[in-house]
Amino acid sequence: MGAAGSKLEKALGDQFPEGERYFGLENFGNTCYCNSVLQALYFCVPFREQLLEYYANNKNIADAEENLLTCLADLFSQISSQKKKTGVIAPKRFVQRLKKQNELFRSYMHQDAHEFLNFLLNELVDILEKEAQAAKSDPETSSPPEKLANGPKTVQANGTHKEPLVTWVHKNFQGILTNETRCLRCETVTARDETFFDLSLDIEQNSSITSCLKNFSSTETLNAEDKFFCDKCRSLQEAQKRMKIKKPPHILVIHLKRFKYIEQLGRYKKLSYRVVFPLELKLSNTVEDVDCEYSLFAVVVHVGSGPNHGHYVSLVKSHNHWLFFDDENVEMIDESAVQTFFGSAQEYSSNTDHGYILFYESLGASNKS
Amino acid sequence: MINTANGMMSTAPSGNAQSPGLKTYFKTPEGRYKLHYEKTHPSGLLHYTHGKTVTQVTIAHLKDKPSPSTPTAPSSSFSASSGVRSAAARLLGGGNGSRALSFVGGNGGSKSVSGNNRVGSLGASSSSNSTSTSNFDGKGTFLIFNVGDAIFISDLNSQDKDPIKSIHFSNSNPLCHAFDQDAKDGHDLIIGLNSGDVYSVSLRQQLQDVGKKLVGAQHYNKDGSVNSSRCTSIAWVPGGDGAFVVAHADGNLYVYEKSKDGAGDSSFPVIKDQTQFSVAHARYSKSNPIARWHICQGSINSIAFSTDGAYLATVGRDGYLRVFDYSKEQLVCGGKSYYGALLCCAWSIDGKYVLTGGEDDLVQVWSMEDRKVVAWGEGHNSWVSGVAFDSYWSSPNSDGTEETVMYRFGSVGQDTQLLLWDLEMDEIVVPLRRPPGGSPTYSTGSQSAHWESAFPVGTLQPAPSMRDVPKISPLVQHRVHTEPLSGLIFTQDSVLTVCREGHIKIWMRPGVADNQPNSAETILSTSLKEKPLLSSKVGSLSYKQ
Repeated sequence: MGAAGSKLEKALGDQFPEGERYFGLENFGNTCYCNSVLQALYFCVPFREQLLEYYANNKNIADAEENLLTCLADLFSQISSQKKKTGVIAPKRFVQRLKKQNELFRSYMHQDAHEFLNFLLNELVDILEKEAQAAKSDPETSSPPEKLANGPKTVQANGTHKEPLVTWVHKNFQGILTNETRCLRCETVTARDETFFDLSLDIEQNSSITSCLKNFSSTETLNAEDKFFCDKCRSLQEAQKRMKIKKPPHILVIHLKRFKYIEQLGRYKKLSYRVVFPLELKLSNTVEDVDCEYSLFAVVVHVGSGPNHGHYVSLVKSHNHWLFFDDENVEMIDESAVQTFFGSAQEYSSNTDHGYILFYESLGASNKS
Repeated sequence: MINTANGMMSTAPSGNAQSPGLKTYFKTPEGRYKLHYEKTHPSGLLHYTHGKTVTQVTIAHLKDKPSPSTPTAPSSSFSASSGVRSAAARLLGGGNGSRALSFVGGNGGSKSVSGNNRVGSLGASSSSNSTSTSNFDGKGTFLIFNVGDAIFISDLNSQDKDPIKSIHFSNSNPLCHAFDQDAKDGHDLIIGLNSGDVYSVSLRQQLQDVGKKLVGAQHYNKDGSVNSSRCTSIAWVPGGDGAFVVAHADGNLYVYEKSKDGAGDSSFPVIKDQTQFSVAHARYSKSNPIARWHICQGSINSIAFSTDGAYLATVGRDGYLRVFDYSKEQLVCGGKSYYGALLCCAWSIDGKYVLTGGEDDLVQVWSMEDRKVVAWGEGHNSWVSGVAFDSYWSSPNSDGTEETVMYRFGSVGQDTQLLLWDLEMDEIVVPLRRPPGGSPTYSTGSQSAHWESAFPVGTLQPAPSMRDVPKISPLVQHRVHTEPLSGLIFTQDSVLTVCREGHIKIWMRPGVADNQPNSAETILSTSLKEKPLLSSKVGSLSYKQ
């Protein structure tokens, strides 16, 4: 372990970024789903900084109850304050807390990294909201803060002008989708907004993320069994529906739906499709028609041929170097190695390392959170 | 194997191996393009290297041996040969027709030291020529393609699926190659390797040799002594008298002259500013490479010379197309992709347009006159890995008087599709003549007046905004392979597509396949009558996987 650390230090030499720490995470039996996501989040710099800031502001409250947020903050602070530049850390408290919190993650089975990420972000938001609520406490208990989790919410603010609580987790990850439905009879457009922490995209063989995003936002006609109830016509009508991005998130998390339920098989199957993702991306399916540019900084990779077993690793870009995190091991890799995780053009291939969750950070100044 | 009159039929036995559900033709307004045959490499052999390299294809027309001793070769349909020869001589200028190739007569002693070095192996190879390669008549059209650690050579005009020759590189993988059919001495094929090493050889000599190694090669940048990063793209300088350029994955491009010693130890000063374009010349004039161009940060993915050799276009990891005045060594113009790296580029034969393709899934049409992007082709569902103008195609209603010239071009992508496009500048709805959004150099005001000053010579433009660039749609969309594609070539009679794994398909143009099912000589002669074919080259995807 120590030798591996010094190897990375040697590889980086005097290019080792000032103040940065590259630590592997110990695996407690199939906890690679957790480790891979934690590394991606650690190298999501705005998220890390705000979490450490939160930790600095709250660590004095000694009697504070332990929760996933404090465990995560504790872990990140532990990593960032290491004397050594490289090494291995055991995220023991965090994993214990996670297992206590959610029975889904309690077993030693192979878990889904995307489910974990989703659970974690929503849990963090819940904790922050509860804290904010407790802080405001009695003065004006007018209304409970609107729940901003992953659920849909209508944005037609109904007069009362309720300010939804926007936590720093929201500021980093939350975007708003708008679901536009045009009634083909009266042409009325009904828009319904929903917030998201990540976009789950259907994938096709030999396609690109750009193309998957295009399909995600493509116009779909609702007809036959699937008509739309138009409020104006007061009846079921044929309609056209499409999803646009109303507010692009600062951190764009894209989840590739590689695990697909195959009815004929009666089980999930892993799609090993080759889906290329560029290091720079623009969202063009936005409402305001502005090009919002992103840069890839982390990839959670699923290794293996099926959904119920396998391994997770992550690729992370830090200070213009790409690093490969495989539980306790950390290696430097060339940028061009990222493309070996695109997937395979052939169904049966020896290559089973496939990009599963992509993390892009917005480059634009247009992000005004 | 059975050569039926219908070109399509012959593909059935060879095509069934890998392509269920792929059609063997596609329709265009002018008729059907039919899959004529396929070329590939021996399967099974290369499993371990599968996916590690990206196949590129170079097409090479070897002319009839110009020496008077050749008439031993004629095949049955050789009656056209004299016509070919005279056409070639006329088009290619003097000096070429009567010049003895180096391996024939030891090169007349006019060569430098390095020339003499070659004689030993040449003698050996020419003796083997007479026996083992008696079927090689010294001319023809060949496909040169790399797969794994090997270069394969196939006869374009034979029905044989397998290559006629393989050359293995024990130390590194060949990644790019180029052929110069106007080469003044034997060395007409250049090859760039993963290790940065570069070789120049005579294609004819390779075909005459029975071994699986490169013979009579000149070795440059040996063991990456000058630059150890991967060779990404290689090209002869048109009319450059044996000069060629090699682009590398670290953003540098080197200029070589084959007449100079390959073993020289050129050294270049440290690049002061990685972000700036700079050219350094070798201090020692007899060594190779003679110059280094530092072009960009990150990889140069593909390069292309304009037909006249005046301009050099490069595309790279940073997403910029750059066009240089080659002799002046100056940046003329260029601009950024919508987003992501650019992977390929190609010139129109008249030098007015440059096509690029890249990681934004777009085919970009760059106008040299306007010095900006004039159209984006939308239609690929993945990265665009190869682009080319169809220089043999002429607009059905072109009478030469209209100014609106129509161009036909093609593109291939990692979505396994071949797309064909028509470009007629008048038909494109050009938005207001203003530079794409957000240019700091542009001030609002009288638009046309500011246009020229907005993008002075030598500046790079930022990425255009989606709404500012006119879009064009493909004429044809055809799924060609099951693997992502890496390149395409237009020839007089066909379109060639190649996938990353090294399978090549040859699609006959409408009307060609039916009339001339097996027309090696015809293809050569007609193409030479039309215009001198430059060595065309595809598959500019630089990196390997």
